[in-house]
Amino acid sequence: MKQFSLLLGKELREQARSFKLFWVPLVFIFFGALEPLTYHFLPQILESVGNLPEGAEFMLPEMTGADVYASLTGQYQTIGLLVLVLAFMGSLSGERKSGTGTLLYVRPISYSTYYLSKWTAAVLLAFASLWLGYGMAATYIVQLYETVPGFTDVALFLLVMAAWLIFVVTLTLTASAALPTGGAAGAALGILFIGMMIDSLVGTYWTWSPWKLQGYGLMYLTGSPESGDLAGALGVTALITVLLILFGIRQARKNAAKAKV
Amino acid sequence: MSITEQLAEIPWGLIWPLIAIQLVLMTAALIDLNRKRSTNGPVILWVFIIIFINTIGPVLYFTVGRRHS
Amino acid sequence: MNTVLEVSGLTKQYDGIRAVDDLTFSLGEHTATALIGPNGSGKTTTLSMLAGLLRQTSGTIRFSGEGKDPRSAIGFLPQYPKFFPWMTAIEYMELAAGLSGLEGRSVRSACEKTLGFVGLGDAGKKRIGGFSGGMKQRLGLAQAIVHRPSLLLLDEPVSALDPAGRREVMEMLKELGGSTTILYSTHILNDAEEMTDQLLFLRSGKLIEQGPLREVREKYGGSGYRVLFNNPEAAERFAASAPWAARADGSAVTISGEAVSMEELLRYAGGHPAGITNIGRVSVRLEDIFMKVVERP
Repeated sequence: MKQFSLLLGKELREQARSFKLFWVPLVFIFFGALEPLTYHFLPQILESVGNLPEGAEFMLPEMTGADVYASLTGQYQTIGLLVLVLAFMGSLSGERKSGTGTLLYVRPISYSTYYLSKWTAAVLLAFASLWLGYGMAATYIVQLYETVPGFTDVALFLLVMAAWLIFVVTLTLTASAALPTGGAAGAALGILFIGMMIDSLVGTYWTWSPWKLQGYGLMYLTGSPESGDLAGALGVTALITVLLILFGIRQARKNAAKAKV
Repeated sequence: MSITEQLAEIPWGLIWPLIAIQLVLMTAALIDLNRKRSTNGPVILWVFIIIFINTIGPVLYFTVGRRHS
Repeated sequence: MNTVLEVSGLTKQYDGIRAVDDLTFSLGEHTATALIGPNGSGKTTTLSMLAGLLRQTSGTIRFSGEGKDPRSAIGFLPQYPKFFPWMTAIEYMELAAGLSGLEGRSVRSACEKTLGFVGLGDAGKKRIGGFSGGMKQRLGLAQAIVHRPSLLLLDEPVSALDPAGRREVMEMLKELGGSTTILYSTHILNDAEEMTDQLLFLRSGKLIEQGPLREVREKYGGSGYRVLFNNPEAAERFAASAPWAARADGSAVTISGEAVSMEELLRYAGGHPAGITNIGRVSVRLEDIFMKVVERP
């Protein structure tokens, strides 16, 4: 426990001093504000930039608050994931490569404590980013849109999204435990985006997967998801996450020997 | 519509947070760059990327531009 | 004497190459042992295995403190220690001390004291990113000793320092030697000569010579005498006419210490004084032993 708090303190301090603590949430907040604004002012924006013939009218579908959340979620699924993976791809591999890990590995640390301290710090930052980002979006959405989802529905949606982000962060850290930084980023992003492609192709048949979570979560905003499918997807995600953590700890221990001396 | 009218029409109350975030990200990146002065690629290139590419510029700097010593 | 560490048959194999091949030795309590060998002879690999960073292919490493995680009893200083540049020295020391099991209110003062010992007393609150190479080496030593380990493993502890820094760090190590067992690798043999109870010679991963400094020295020539002349010809003549084995090398003549006593040598030199400028006792330098050992087939 003592070691865990020491290492977690080290991770959080590193996040602050490398500015990660600021820029990762800020990117989420930025898109959280941009997305509702863009849709609200889209007609004006198009009018001012486009040289449309006189009298041409836009038939833009009326956006609801739920539509904006869905669109923002789409943004976070690309840029947000990219930012998280890039922010944490070097968590373990970087310490091996630079040799800073060496002086930790020669001390009587347990590798599960080592991995989990990094995991906790990364999950905390991902949660903060997610909630601040959607919080920012919510403050704009309630001001700019007529129909908005209720608070409880948004909270349930965010809980489901949190499970998805835990999966993303775990995958990134385990990749970083197993591979050098570049390979870790490639593997994590590859798995995430290939998973999304597979989901869009055969998702109708494969209803219990981590890639389903954001879709199920969004359903809270317009109605409610099929509870059996949601529970299944959450269960499968939890199982994969635990297995990834265990594998990551093993890899961290095994690859300690590769740390630069 | 004159430029001043157009400017007046912009809902600044809604937009200033976006501008503030841009500036904070840019400033943080430039401070860090100034402190470390070691990047992947020429430093001056990163100064331009940070200043001229909105939002993504500083993020690119923090993720791939920064060299870990 | 108590044994702190016993190594037997230690072997590390990489892709079919034996980087470390069947090492057997032991370290007595509070002794200093120098691990000597040319570059690539397996010194760093050996130390890494002892520090628990690398797993040996075969062989055993036994520490005296049974049961505990041996890493808590070891302090390790790599040749080029790497630190988190965004940390201050005192923050790093507290992390290191805490991870090694130090607890309570005394941690901070122990860290400050250790920083003072290595000469970084004033740099505690500075970021490590701005440290010079010498300062990092000192911090490296500080983090290795802060938890009072019973075994200190040092990989080329002084080779990156300038002569003044080298002298200072050697003095620190000598001071530590009174209470800790030290195993260090080096290729600066003057340093090894100064602070060594035992020598381990490595070549291509094999332990090719070991023993206390005095014994090894005796074995490879021991001590002797050197007579200096003002010209090489005089030296040649002296060596050729001397009644014992004497070797001329330029304008110096070396005579083995076993062949003759100082008194006899002086008496003989008194009879043949041509060109002599200096007579003195010399002991064989570690460097000469090293060359002999390493070049031996």
